[in-house]
Amino acid sequence: MSDQPLVSLRNPWFVAGVGITVGIAAFSAVVGLIWLPLAQPDLKLSGIWDAICSAAGVPRATVQDASIKPEFRTSNVVMTSEMLTKPDQVSIGRGATLSQRCAICHGPQGVSDANSPNLAGQFAAVTYKELNDFKAGARVSVVMSPFAAAISDQDMKDVAAYYAYLPRVPSNNLNAGLPAPAIVVTGAPMRNIPPCGSCHGDIDNKAGSPWLGGQSAVYIKAQLQSLASGARRNDISQQMRNVARQMTPEEIDQAARYYAAQP
Amino acid sequence: MATETEHSPGEAVTARIERRWATLSIIIVGLLVGMAAYIGIHQATMPQGHVETADPKTLHLAGEFIESNLGSAVEADGSVTVRAIGQQYSFTPQCVVVPSETPVTFRATSADVVHGFLIEGTNINTMLVPGYVSALQVRFKAPGEHMMPCQEFCGIGHQGMWGKVKVVDKAAFLNMAAAKRRLTCVD
Repeated sequence: MSDQPLVSLRNPWFVAGVGITVGIAAFSAVVGLIWLPLAQPDLKLSGIWDAICSAAGVPRATVQDASIKPEFRTSNVVMTSEMLTKPDQVSIGRGATLSQRCAICHGPQGVSDANSPNLAGQFAAVTYKELNDFKAGARVSVVMSPFAAAISDQDMKDVAAYYAYLPRVPSNNLNAGLPAPAIVVTGAPMRNIPPCGSCHGDIDNKAGSPWLGGQSAVYIKAQLQSLASGARRNDISQQMRNVARQMTPEEIDQAARYYAAQP
Repeated sequence: MATETEHSPGEAVTARIERRWATLSIIIVGLLVGMAAYIGIHQATMPQGHVETADPKTLHLAGEFIESNLGSAVEADGSVTVRAIGQQYSFTPQCVVVPSETPVTFRATSADVVHGFLIEGTNINTMLVPGYVSALQVRFKAPGEHMMPCQEFCGIGHQGMWGKVKVVDKAAFLNMAAAKRRLTCVD
């Protein structure tokens, strides 16, 4: 027996062992790749080859059926967390010249008391996205929409880079001693409200969420109200409407007053 | 030497034991394959049959996950398809409305990071992975409300990420669907 080679077709144990293993593998492949997929009518497979591909996990593009088109303009900006985070000096310089048009409302240094947003130190991606949305009509403002109508993509990037470059200036309402309200610190987890800072930069920044410190309380309140009512709809896939809708009027007041007093 | 070992009583015992163990292992393997096949065909929740892709950065521009196409849609065969996205830190739609006693397909994906998709009281529990569409089928027996928390840590605001699934009577749902082609219960 010990003279017989182990790996040989003449060794019946070897033949049986390998045969059974191969048989099980083949049977399992037929069950897993063909029989089980075809047994699921919901998968709507077109044949054996389709069944094998789908069971093996070959990715395919989503079947496009007729989507319902929106009745209003939505934001068409593609946001990524790295966008506009590396501005060049030329862009900032061009932006400084272009921003003179903005100074009457937003202040020569990007800060004003006109209850319009203070842009000094704002994330470039935010300024860029809002300008885009004004231009596309996804966000509407009597004052801003005409200004944005004719501005080019490069000009928007330059203005955004310039304002991001300016240092944040403490507003006249600065009051660092003001205690933070619960809605800002913890949100309201049972109502789908995360802490404001989890997106707006105090803790973490989600691309497109503005820095809120030092903004006018009137402006913050107006925006939260119009997001809650659905009058403003340029937040991508309702990311801020979902939050604002759940906030009570008192919480909106508290958050607006708190952020107006922050640097 | 070969003849000596063939005659040893120890070898006969060893061979018998080996045969029995081999038989037992083959039965166990057969049983496991059979169980997998039976569960695959008869249990309610099966792994997803297809791998489908969707670009997380451009979900809002075109395709089935644009804002106006999210929510519940009645299909030609009478079943209902619910489309939803998860994003930091909410589900859209925030409140999903579906009929009872109807086959419902959930199709969902993520717009940013990995989120969890779990509907309390059902077998639905999957991940929303950016780039891929998660599709699961379920049938709700009775009207009621189910919580839909994100159960996969998705960032610093994760604990605030909840949705809701409202199961309504089938007739009431079809009445609502007659007026609007994509239904949600967001107030």
